[in-house]
Amino acid sequence: MADPSSRYLNRELSWLEFNQGVLDEAHDPSVPVLERLKFLAISASNLDEFFMVRVGGLKLVEHQENMPADPAGMTVREQLDAIATRVHSMTGDQYRCFLEELEPQLAQAGVRRLSASDLNDRQKQVVDQFFNDEVASVLTPMAVDQGIEFPLLPHQMLHVAVRLSPREGEARSRFAIIPLGRSLGRFVTLPSDRGYCYILLEDIVAAEAEHFFPGEGVVHCAPFRITRNADITVRDDLVHDLLSEIEEVLDERKLGNCVRLEIAAQADAETVAFLRQALGVDEGEIYALPGPLDLAGFMRLSDLQGFDNLKYEPWPPRISPDVDLGAGMFNVIARRDILLLHPYDSFEPVVRLLEEAAEDPDVLAIKQTLYRTSRNSPIVAALERAAERGKYVTAVIELRARFDEARNIEWARNLERAGVQVIYGVKGLKTHAKICIIVRREPYGIVRYVHFGTGNYNEITARLYSDVSLMTANEEFGSDAIAFFNAITGFSQPQRFRKIDAAPLGLRERLIEMIDAETDRQNHGQKARIIAKLNSLVDPELIEALYRASNAGVEIKLNVRGVCCLRPGVPKLSEHISVVSIIDRFLEHSRILYFHHGGDRRVFISSADWMPRNLDRRVELLVPVEDHALKERLLQTLKTYFKDDVKSRRLLPDGGYKRLTPSTKRPPLRAQEVLYRRVCDAALMAEQSQRTVFEPHQAPENSH
Amino acid sequence: MSTLPRESTGVGATEPIRVVRPAAVIDIGTSSIRMAIAEIDSAGGVRTLETLSQAVNLGKDTFTKGSIEKATIEKCVEILKSYRQRLREYQISRDDQIRVVATSAVREALNRLAFIDRVYIATGIQVEPIDEAEVNRITYLGVAPFLNAERSLAEAHTVVVEVGGGSTELLVVRNGDVIFSHTYRLGSLRLRQTLESYGAPAGKLRSIMQNQIERTVEEVVAQLPDEMPRALIALGGDMRYAASQLLSTWNADRLGKLRLSLLEGFTDKILNMSVDKLVKTHHLPYPEAETLGPALLAYLTLARSAKLDHVYVSNVNLRDGLLQEMAHRGQWNEAFVNQIIRSAVELGRRFDFDEAHSMQVAHLCRQLFRALQDDHHLEPKHEVILYIAAVLHEIGLFIASASHHKHSLYIINNSEIFGLSRKDVRLVGLVARYHRRASPKPTHPGYALLDRESRVIVSKLAAILRVADALERSHSQRISEIRCKREPGRLVITVPKVDDLSLEQLALMQKGSLFEETFGMKVLLRKGRS
Repeated sequence: MADPSSRYLNRELSWLEFNQGVLDEAHDPSVPVLERLKFLAISASNLDEFFMVRVGGLKLVEHQENMPADPAGMTVREQLDAIATRVHSMTGDQYRCFLEELEPQLAQAGVRRLSASDLNDRQKQVVDQFFNDEVASVLTPMAVDQGIEFPLLPHQMLHVAVRLSPREGEARSRFAIIPLGRSLGRFVTLPSDRGYCYILLEDIVAAEAEHFFPGEGVVHCAPFRITRNADITVRDDLVHDLLSEIEEVLDERKLGNCVRLEIAAQADAETVAFLRQALGVDEGEIYALPGPLDLAGFMRLSDLQGFDNLKYEPWPPRISPDVDLGAGMFNVIARRDILLLHPYDSFEPVVRLLEEAAEDPDVLAIKQTLYRTSRNSPIVAALERAAERGKYVTAVIELRARFDEARNIEWARNLERAGVQVIYGVKGLKTHAKICIIVRREPYGIVRYVHFGTGNYNEITARLYSDVSLMTANEEFGSDAIAFFNAITGFSQPQRFRKIDAAPLGLRERLIEMIDAETDRQNHGQKARIIAKLNSLVDPELIEALYRASNAGVEIKLNVRGVCCLRPGVPKLSEHISVVSIIDRFLEHSRILYFHHGGDRRVFISSADWMPRNLDRRVELLVPVEDHALKERLLQTLKTYFKDDVKSRRLLPDGGYKRLTPSTKRPPLRAQEVLYRRVCDAALMAEQSQRTVFEPHQAPENSH
Repeated sequence: MSTLPRESTGVGATEPIRVVRPAAVIDIGTSSIRMAIAEIDSAGGVRTLETLSQAVNLGKDTFTKGSIEKATIEKCVEILKSYRQRLREYQISRDDQIRVVATSAVREALNRLAFIDRVYIATGIQVEPIDEAEVNRITYLGVAPFLNAERSLAEAHTVVVEVGGGSTELLVVRNGDVIFSHTYRLGSLRLRQTLESYGAPAGKLRSIMQNQIERTVEEVVAQLPDEMPRALIALGGDMRYAASQLLSTWNADRLGKLRLSLLEGFTDKILNMSVDKLVKTHHLPYPEAETLGPALLAYLTLARSAKLDHVYVSNVNLRDGLLQEMAHRGQWNEAFVNQIIRSAVELGRRFDFDEAHSMQVAHLCRQLFRALQDDHHLEPKHEVILYIAAVLHEIGLFIASASHHKHSLYIINNSEIFGLSRKDVRLVGLVARYHRRASPKPTHPGYALLDRESRVIVSKLAAILRVADALERSHSQRISEIRCKREPGRLVITVPKVDDLSLEQLALMQKGSLFEETFGMKVLLRKGRS
């Protein structure tokens, strides 16, 4: 797969292998079928974004002269060819999964997709009525003809191409396009005796197409969908490695170019040829699909209510036994540092901290970064309330967070109206660090309560993503946190931190220093070890540092969920490095680092992936966890992932992954399950130990 | 794990109540405006909450063009406004909670008044330009706790030096005492500016700079007390930056020990980089990148000429000293007063003063000052000025016996006494000058320039000094204990254990009527019964 002489894996191909891992979950018969459908939808939505941004970016520089090869030694053309080959086979796999595995199983469980020809009379009647009442008045076909400029079709939306019979006396077919838009739902529920039956909107439109063209002959209908390389400049964080070249060729016309045409496999040759010519796509950019297009859209179906037996059993988050919500969060944090492992530990204490801060008369100021947050976020509401109560509230809001721009602007304006000082990010950098500081006046002076996180301040995703929260009232963290905030809000030049490190102010240097320190110790005969959990590992400088460490003999265990350009296990390069990727029901998102450091056992949490974009163009944080018990908990968590033999994949030297299978010697171990059980056991133990002491209910101390 | 007082949970209820007040200091320097926000507790402890720093071109303007450019003034106003906003967060708003000082770049600017007024109008912030001696004194307040904590340093002969943008401050300390302090016009920014005005080729810059620095260092070495310093403590942002790069384990709460060879390599590296490159590779703002190389070279040259193989780096800065001073509410504590006295004694020794006599007069002055508190109503600080004037009152004898009081004035006015501002030193000089002969007159140079309050202070203190000097007329320290009693129209000084007071009584007569003119009392000496 990868050029065996190269020191790196190509990042695009590595990403595709990760996506294959997601798709493999859709194949896994031990996963409930609606969850398998969700994995399939995720793999499709991942591919959509990949085409839009990465493939789009590569296509822009495809004809650029003197483009340097990527670190793995591949030219742009080679990458595009390899991507096309890989995606064609992956797409085939997706549809085999959908058509041959998932749909039969869903049908058996009562969830059935019907085609227009399958409908019984009652169903047919419902469809006719639906078409006449809702579809016909909303959808408008566009005639597209030679001589008229081809319309700019919205990308990643479904369309139906209609071939009409030639006018009298002409030989050429005529074409029309019906955009399906967003206003109509794609899954149209049909009456049925049992279970859930649905028909797809595009199938209805295709079946009823002649109603749009009275008196003309509809010869053929085919749904299709295009992906453009649009919006690339908005998404610069995803393509910045290509951006400097892209800027040179930036050209509006090219920007709108279609980089992928997906079309139903049953489309006839004439229709395909027409679209191909009109959209200017190559043969290799056309994906003829044997089933419904836009599998990402099936995410909605996977949420289907009433089929809980086809979903994971719920693992509700638990309130950490270290947190006594009744005591008030300030008291809890003042007593000792609090570490939460989401989504096993509930995110509620973080929300509660903000809510209490908003009401607390002694809180002077709240400062916080907001990257992606939920609709009606209780955290945003707390900030508004705090500002209305006269506290100094500063929010650094990252407006370029993908897909959220419009939503962000709206609530940012509300915050401003409430009196929050809103800072829209740092020039040239994207604020990715997750930090919240509460400045509180207490009898013995000012105390800063700080929350550091690896995930966004979003209580919805905190139920789905694995992330870490650290809450502390430690003086040095408070001082660092304020200095960091002053730097990103422009109140001060960056200062030297006591505990934390930040990108782009030397985070990479610090990481390299720590990796090299392990190398040195190994060279001096000490024990040395590195364990890291990341989402992506791309940065060549850090990879080289890891290679150096491996060559010295340092044992390195990496848990990289997504892209990994490091080649593990190559003799004389990386024989002491092993990489696993965990893909399971929760999205692995936390970044946790461990350095043995001669027995000091240094443990960090971080917002940063090891990619050039994160280390050079984002504001990121690296925070040490120093409390002994918390450190041990994180280390134990890190190690648990490497024992997983159910949802773990080992990265091979060639860039492929090998799914681990449970050994026959011991019971299978699924890391996420173990982590959840641990949280439940801890809660149970705490409950039981509490019962040995009887405590009366008292009014909470902080009932101001 | 945490250094935070965890009493916030209520467990500390039995501890003595500490009252905490917030305070802030802002230091307008040559290349940046820095602010420290802190809490001061009732025991005088200082806890810094937040430090901010923003780059400005003040030094560049002043040292090249003589005055501060309009754009720079507005930039300063903008920064101070943003600082003001931060202060509101901590509910710091009263004038006594904030101190804003400006050092050489503002002080030496031709348009400093325009600058100060503009800042006041735009922000309500009163900027106080402080002189070199004041900077030295305040800096020492910050460094002293570190020196006292490291025994080896406290006992050695230690040089504390800060190479700033406009000037270099230097203190020599031994056993916790400042025995020498001086400010030199060697500044990193001045160096950079002179070089630019030469237009010398880049390769030559270093040797030109080296030359300039060496000239000042020779001057320093010539002035240092005979014994060579055994340690050098470097202060200032440039050195702090070097230490942060070179000492991976430097705990900013302690002194960092930096090998000279390491510093040398780093300095070479920095000097070989263009300012643009420095900004890019070291994440430094421009004004700091410009001064880094020259400043490090100055430290290096100084340490080398003292034949040291290490320098100590301290994180302490002017703001720490200012906060310390606020913590003590501007009062000079005993240790600090002793500092000032020792510094004056050092000065006296250099001019071969009669130490026993001078100290005895000073001792008597202190007793008189305290006994007359209800008559003079002066502050404790003035007791120190009187004491120092007494220590140095005869220092002019070094030049000539005739008119030696005027020589004393001249010498004092042209010396640095550690811990005293220029204004204080002028008062000391005048008090010493009036220890004999004519009473103060508006025609006398120096005296005439004082404001009314200061003129009254000089008269009161000089009157006391004359009485004390008369009591020590014998130069034999035979009068040491006195008791003062006020009777109608006269002050009765009872001297125990001395039989014959005629010499002193005569001296009192010769010293003239300044005391009576000032306090409306005659002075009567009386033998004690015991």
